[in-house]
Amino acid sequence: MSELLRVSNLDVRFDTARGLLHAVKDVSFNLEPGESLGIVGESGSGKTVLSRATMGLLTMSTAKKSGSVVLNDVEITKLSRSELRSKWGTEMAIVFQDPMTALNPVRRIGDQIAEGPRVRLGMSKKDAKQRAIELLKMVQIAEPEKVLKKFPLQLSGGMRQRVMIAIAIACNPKILFADEPTTALDVTVQAQILGLISSLRKQLNMSLILVTHDLGVVAGHTDKIAVMYAGEIVEMAPTKELFSNVRMPYTEALLNSIPRITNQSGIRLPVIEGRLPDPTLPQNGCGFSARCKYATEKCHTERPQLVDGGNGHMYRCFFPLGVNK
Amino acid sequence: MLRNLGFFSKISFAWLSLMLFFAIAGPLLPLPDPSEFSDALGAGIFTSGHLLGTDLNGYDLFANIVVGSRNSLFIAIISVGLGSLLGGILGIAAGYLRGKTDYVLTIFFNIFLSIPNLILSLVLIAVLATSPDPTQTVADSRRLVVIIISLTIVIIPILGRITRGSTLAWTNAEFVVAAKSMGMKDLMIIRRHIIPNVLPSIYAVAFLAIGIVIVVEGALSLLGIGVGQGISWGSMLARSQGDLEYAPTSLFVPLTFLALTVIACNQIGDALRQHLDSRESKL
Amino acid sequence: MAGSGKAHIQGGEDVVLHVEDLVVEYRTAGNQKVQAVSGISLDLIKGETLAIVGESGCGKSTFGKAVMQIVAPKSGSVVFQGSDLMKSTKEELRQLRPKMQMIFQDPVSSLDPRFTVSKIVKEPLEIWSRGSDSEQESKIDELLNSVGLEPALVRERHAYEFSGGQCQRISIARALALDPEILICDEPVSALDVSVQAQILNLLQDMKDQYGLTMIFISHDLAVVKAVSTRVMVMYLGKVCEIGNPTDLYKNPRHHYTSALISAIPVPDPEFSISAQIIDGDPPSPTNPPSGCRFRTRCPAATELCAAEEPQLREMGGGNYVACHHPRD
Repeated sequence: MSELLRVSNLDVRFDTARGLLHAVKDVSFNLEPGESLGIVGESGSGKTVLSRATMGLLTMSTAKKSGSVVLNDVEITKLSRSELRSKWGTEMAIVFQDPMTALNPVRRIGDQIAEGPRVRLGMSKKDAKQRAIELLKMVQIAEPEKVLKKFPLQLSGGMRQRVMIAIAIACNPKILFADEPTTALDVTVQAQILGLISSLRKQLNMSLILVTHDLGVVAGHTDKIAVMYAGEIVEMAPTKELFSNVRMPYTEALLNSIPRITNQSGIRLPVIEGRLPDPTLPQNGCGFSARCKYATEKCHTERPQLVDGGNGHMYRCFFPLGVNK
Repeated sequence: MLRNLGFFSKISFAWLSLMLFFAIAGPLLPLPDPSEFSDALGAGIFTSGHLLGTDLNGYDLFANIVVGSRNSLFIAIISVGLGSLLGGILGIAAGYLRGKTDYVLTIFFNIFLSIPNLILSLVLIAVLATSPDPTQTVADSRRLVVIIISLTIVIIPILGRITRGSTLAWTNAEFVVAAKSMGMKDLMIIRRHIIPNVLPSIYAVAFLAIGIVIVVEGALSLLGIGVGQGISWGSMLARSQGDLEYAPTSLFVPLTFLALTVIACNQIGDALRQHLDSRESKL
Repeated sequence: MAGSGKAHIQGGEDVVLHVEDLVVEYRTAGNQKVQAVSGISLDLIKGETLAIVGESGCGKSTFGKAVMQIVAPKSGSVVFQGSDLMKSTKEELRQLRPKMQMIFQDPVSSLDPRFTVSKIVKEPLEIWSRGSDSEQESKIDELLNSVGLEPALVRERHAYEFSGGQCQRISIARALALDPEILICDEPVSALDVSVQAQILNLLQDMKDQYGLTMIFISHDLAVVKAVSTRVMVMYLGKVCEIGNPTDLYKNPRHHYTSALISAIPVPDPEFSISAQIIDGDPPSPTNPPSGCRFRTRCPAATELCAAEEPQLREMGGGNYVACHHPRD
């Protein structure tokens, strides 16, 4: 197997007060070394639960997880807690959305960055400090020696996110999970951070899984994209292929409803009527059928499976756009 | 809501109801006179017609508990109730109006909070409820009133600060800003939007405070400045202080009732807080 | 940029709101003085949707709140319906409130969690005693229908039972209850999902047409702004950079900050070449803004003049104004 990561039939359910919440429904995808995958979905699509479950970070006792996640030929779902922990940082790392809550406000930046190398790589205090300075330089923070001594509150949002990235890459992970890494940032800083992640990826030959709701962000920074809706992957394709040959009505509707600066001003935006289906209720038929303008009787009663349409383009629809029967 | 209470909360609720029943209906119950001398001295529980025994004066302990509950509970409820009301009003004023009002009120709260409760009560009672002539004692009713006043004064800053904090949080909520921008007058905003949202935090703390005040009253009695001739659980403890060796029940009985009541108050206060917290997180 | 100046002030019959030299100051936790808004002037023309854009910390939200006098400005004037709100008494100001309403960013916390929907929308009518009880009830139904909510289904429910988009609709219904003239929207769709944003933006457009509103639309999202605005004002660190009509501004931004903002927006199209003019660094501290033009520390075209003299807004033609010593061509 040449893939770096193979996720098969990953399924996550939660026991909630309102019933059994089916957050991730039988999801499968692969990741090659050095490849970057964008997982796109709105809130409630299950994308965050998917990334957490893949990494093994779901700690809630109410979660029921099944399926397989193979990283570097190792089935990580079967590992013990400490074995799994040893993979975090060294093989997989994660950058979170809100750097303010992801960083410990009462520890200095230097200590937080050095922790990984000291604990995982067994570096001495002195070596770890050097490594921290080196990492801060890699994430383009000026005056790294000064920043080492600072606390998170003394830094701006953009700098904190850079520090998070530095912490994440400290032990040279093979895969970086970035969960909405720029949502909390200003748009100019967002561009800087995304550019940084892209260049680091090439520099370190790291794979990237970028989880976001922003189709614009994935358009410029991913090799392939998986679109999620109501817990399932509904479309997956190489990035250029996805945008030029959209097959899923949901993806098409999403692309159309996004305000763009290339649009004319003062126009009326096309909308997707309705809301996400209730994840605690069992679904008949396609999850999007209630809101799909092309829906037929079949769509409401039968559940479509993922179909390979060639060119690496997979979709979950009985009547995909642009495909003649 | 009662259905959702846990097991301990149900027991606590039942206990407090029972104590309240004693306090209210006490005199109507067919119990011996608490000051009636009986032959059994220092009797244990369930002996010779005395449900909970007697003390070294022969007083029936159960009767004393029931009569004492009146003072103990009412002192606590009235002082906490008044203290919460006044503290609440001041706290809301401080939190909503900010500026100089807040500054002055906070200093006021801090000053009173820095004085230990017991000392404060002692001073007030000494000043207002003792006569300079050691042969003359002050009327019990006056003593009672002064005790209630001093405990109220202790409660005011505690609840004032909590209310202030809660008010600060809610005043900054966007729906309050929205109400102001609609042209709603301040008093109306406070009445409609601030008070209903701040009230839950007051309830929870008030219950805990009731428990504390019952104990404080007990302490005052032990120090000899309690309700005087009147009976309260604290005064029962005070009277039987030296009788541990020969009539231990006369100490354990009021002690147990006191402790259980305080625990029950804590439990209800905690349950209330949890229930309201979880509602808040849903909101 | 860091511009001030009044070149863009036209005056005239159609001006519904006139703001002049508005300054808003506040003290930080460290007891330092910060000017969130540093001398901004503006004329709001009847029927327009003026968008105020900028990144966090530029003062756009503070500006909106200051105009509404929710936040007390330090100096300047805000003239509405013939009176200067800064000089009005508390009661005079209160009387004018129904005419200028606001929509807030967080849809859920804009609504009192203890109130039912009908109570929320009825409140403004009750405060001002508009109509009898039955008239108020039918007005509530009318408003709920206008914003796309079915009155029978939503009236008795509480705010926390609804999604972000629906809460925002309720807020809009409440704001429209008093038939305001001006509607100030402070990041109304930023907290909403992408697919819901379009619904709410369309709704705002419809309401504007239906109720004859004039809107101020505050946002950090340039793409969203382009969809709804008729005029755009770009702010940076409390000052105005550029103000003009959207088509010109987006196609050919004259200010370097505007240009950087526009090119930083991720476009959902992989073919779109990212000629991203990625500006370096973080915004300077608002407690100690750069002298002269406040953007000069991050501007590729900055010169000594930019440090010495604060640029004023000047006309670039077509109703577009720029505050820059060396505007882009």
